[in-house]
Amino acid sequence: MLSAMASRLAGLRDMEAGVLAITDHPDDDWKRCRGWLGLVRQAGQLLDLAEGSFKGRVARNLSEEATAHKASLRSALHRAESRVATFDEDVRRLARERLGLRLALVGKGGAGKTATAATLARILARRGRNVLAADLDTNPGLAFSLGLPHDTNGLPAEAVEEHEGAAYGWQLASGLSPDDAVKRFAAQAPDGVRYLGVRKIDEPEKQAARQTVIAVLQILRGFSDPAWDVIADLEAGPTTVFEDYHGFADQILLVVGPEWRSALTARRLLPVIGAIPTLVVSNRWRGADDHAGLVPAVRIPFDPAVIEAERLGLAPLDYCPGSPAVAAIEDLAEHLTTSSELTTTQLTTTDQEVSS
Amino acid sequence: MRIAITGKGGSGKSTVAGTLARHAARRGRTVVAVDADPNPNLAISLGMTQESVETMRPILNALLESGHTHNDPMPDPDDLLARFGLGGPDGIVLVATGKIERPTDACLCCGSHNTTREFFAAIPADDRLVVADLEAGLNDLVWARPGPDDMVLAVAEPSAKSVEIARRACRIAESMGVQRILGVANRAANGHDAKSLHEVLGVEVVEVPYDLAVEEADRLGTAPIDADPSSPAVAAIAELADRVEATASLEG
Repeated sequence: MLSAMASRLAGLRDMEAGVLAITDHPDDDWKRCRGWLGLVRQAGQLLDLAEGSFKGRVARNLSEEATAHKASLRSALHRAESRVATFDEDVRRLARERLGLRLALVGKGGAGKTATAATLARILARRGRNVLAADLDTNPGLAFSLGLPHDTNGLPAEAVEEHEGAAYGWQLASGLSPDDAVKRFAAQAPDGVRYLGVRKIDEPEKQAARQTVIAVLQILRGFSDPAWDVIADLEAGPTTVFEDYHGFADQILLVVGPEWRSALTARRLLPVIGAIPTLVVSNRWRGADDHAGLVPAVRIPFDPAVIEAERLGLAPLDYCPGSPAVAAIEDLAEHLTTSSELTTTQLTTTDQEVSS
Repeated sequence: MRIAITGKGGSGKSTVAGTLARHAARRGRTVVAVDADPNPNLAISLGMTQESVETMRPILNALLESGHTHNDPMPDPDDLLARFGLGGPDGIVLVATGKIERPTDACLCCGSHNTTREFFAAIPADDRLVVADLEAGLNDLVWARPGPDDMVLAVAEPSAKSVEIARRACRIAESMGVQRILGVANRAANGHDAKSLHEVLGVEVVEVPYDLAVEEADRLGTAPIDADPSSPAVAAIAELADRVEATASLEG
């Protein structure tokens, strides 16, 4: 797997060259600053892998490849951070607001992760952002809510290769960078969203899923484009969170339905999520009291039109674009793209790690 | 007989499992309820306390705490039941296979999955009814590995995603050699939901109607069979229990 890591370091150097190449134009300052912010995030992400700070079998497997490159990663991170510091605060704010989101949605099955993820992805795309919708569920669902054909497939066989040391025995094909994998293999979804995911379980050996899970996680860990939002829809419950599938994200949306068990699940997930800033999204909300210990950032109202969209297997944004639930997800999109607070918190943490 | 209950998250697996277990116990059957979800909460639908959901110790967690490793053979299922089973209403014994609590270095690498496989495969059904409520989605069905002597219930609510996952569950169960596969059309709003589920699944389908009493019990975290024993959904699951009982009796 070391060759994969080397190609990601090469990716960082390309990123750096790309930022340096942005020429002087009144619009360039925030773009350049965003480029450095992206590099900070990417180098920090890879350094976290190198330091083995992610848990779970899958994450450990990914971190093995990174350990030989800590020094290069530290130096890339430090260079990028120094560059960020040279910009005025309002340029940095603008850059942070336009830095692509890295979001993961978690929660109990049926809470509404998938419909929320897909609707959010399309709303962001309609606002002119580049959006990658990543499907980490080995059960079908996200394609339905995006408005893609229901049999839309995940990562194709040519993007993966057998590898003895990898969890489940498969990984991203050698020589295929995460950025290239997205360019080449992410399907076109409505509103310009791109869709990339694991393949689905359809037989007892679950071969399609086994072949693609690690590769998709490698893509998420390595995808660097600072101008792209990534929204990942996780499989229901705590297992994939325990395995750190959400570790690529710098914000988590914890989706909770009105049921007591949905709240129980959300409260159990919080310690498993770890230190990543987490927003609670209360879904199918009916004006009842909020669940104890789970203060929602956004309340998506109960909406019969969304239930009907689910029945028909249609995207809420196609079936009921003017519905109250969709309006609430528009508010969520607004909140996520204008609140720079959470990103700041994350970068401060990275600063401390570097200086220590 | 052993029954594995599978389906999409939120489709109503636990409601069906808990209510079915209670009905079967009231018909005089000895019932073992297995919560195979690493996010265990079957105790609620069985009518046990909300506290019991957090205080009960699942098999894997308890074994690891007592120094058990993955290289050690899994103890006898009835021994595990005696040690970690929790008594519930109508004489049901509930056991959970494993619970994910927080990031840990302890080897929970398969979560509850492997324990579910070992326990579900090893527990002799004899004249008991073993009702296993599986983790959301298809993965745990593969782990539980039901066989020709078992029954699989594929629970779906009337959503396209839920129906597609139930369809895949039926095909997977068939290829594992399961002979008795039933669909459950949960939250069915009209006769059409059960009919169209039957058409997609290609197996017999039991209809459990949409029921405000169940929705309210879900919101409060109580068991539908205790909250409103006469509600239409609870009554429909009683009919399901009759069918299960008829099948189990045939086996002696």
